[in-house]
Amino acid sequence: MNKSDILADGFWHNNTIFTQLLGMCPLLGVTTSAENGFWMGAATVLVLIGSNLVVSMVRGVIPKNVRIPAYITIIAAFVTVVEMAMNAWMHEMYLVLGLFIPLIVVNCAILGRAEAFASKNSISDSLVDAIAVGGGFTFALILLGGVREILGQGDLFGFSVFGESYPDVLMFILPPGAFIALGFILAGINIFNARLQRNADTRAQAVQALPKTAEVTS
Amino acid sequence: MNIDKDQIRMVIALFVVAIIAAGVTGLTDIFTRAPIAAAQKLALHQALQQVLPEHRNDPQAEVFSIEDTAIYPAKRANGELTGLAWEVVAPDGYSGSIRILVGVRPDASIQAIRITYHRETPGLGDGVTKNKPWLASFVDQTLTSKNWKVKKDGGDFDQFTGATITPRAVVKAVKAALEFFHSHHKIMLEQASKHSDIAHKEAGIE
Repeated sequence: MNKSDILADGFWHNNTIFTQLLGMCPLLGVTTSAENGFWMGAATVLVLIGSNLVVSMVRGVIPKNVRIPAYITIIAAFVTVVEMAMNAWMHEMYLVLGLFIPLIVVNCAILGRAEAFASKNSISDSLVDAIAVGGGFTFALILLGGVREILGQGDLFGFSVFGESYPDVLMFILPPGAFIALGFILAGINIFNARLQRNADTRAQAVQALPKTAEVTS
Repeated sequence: MNIDKDQIRMVIALFVVAIIAAGVTGLTDIFTRAPIAAAQKLALHQALQQVLPEHRNDPQAEVFSIEDTAIYPAKRANGELTGLAWEVVAPDGYSGSIRILVGVRPDASIQAIRITYHRETPGLGDGVTKNKPWLASFVDQTLTSKNWKVKKDGGDFDQFTGATITPRAVVKAVKAALEFFHSHHKIMLEQASKHSDIAHKEAGIE
């Protein structure tokens, strides 16, 4: 598997949120605005890069039977570091995200990457994988946060989109709105992916058909 | 008893991982401790600026405590006390406790209040932080100038559409803050002026 495949796979084809439906707790919990989604995603990317790198470094050294507790310890250490750093240098966002930062430890997407990818692949591949998967996760968080912020408050990244007269649609700020918005986003992405597939199929057929028609015309 | 090599390897591996993880988090703690304290101090400073009357002193430097409550005095350049601020906790919010910084003038009226921590529902209960007219309805009030309940309970303070519990908790907590001042104002004013003497002597003003 080359690096561009790892990138495309982690970011889109195997997107943590859109395809695997993992990491739902931070997704639904913090995405009341695009900005919250972005910073939650950024914190997750940092943890993912750290854990993937270290797990990849120690692959083969950690005995198989204790690999899961070892990975969890590594992930927890990175989460704690990121949490303290955010508390120190991004105090306001730290207060907003609150409990969801320590909960990155139990984001199964991160342990999943450690177990399924980093423990079996080279350090550089694991780094690319972390960036791709983390980027895909962040993209999903910003997308859902943006949709909920626009529909719920008429804003995007804190800037007014529909003007002051926009009546806040409370439902999209509350948890049910997160589920509904996510449902529509997933449906849209499935339609998009199906189109992509169909286009790819017809192109493949056209390529197959070409030599034959060429024969007929000649 | 027979311990095989694999078991020893497992123990050593986990031990080493745990030691390194503890070391890394410990180091981070050392490096972030001062910035975290500074960030908290700045956040408190900004909140105090909003609830205290005009002052020239550093309320955080002159903090004193009465019955485990940290009290921040505001003073003019000549040492005259213009107000006091302290934090009250409303334990009965809709989701967990709400912390409110209350600024009170020496005549027992409210200068301003500000919510410093809450986990209330966005769009409903969190109106207590965003609804400016509602927050302003506390300004200048005293223990006797208002009926300290929400309108639904027969009082003078508005509740919000779809959210009664949060405003009720805040009103109750602010009332408790005023009652605290009522029962402790003598010692509070005394302490505040005493600290001003020390601060001024230290600064070489008097």
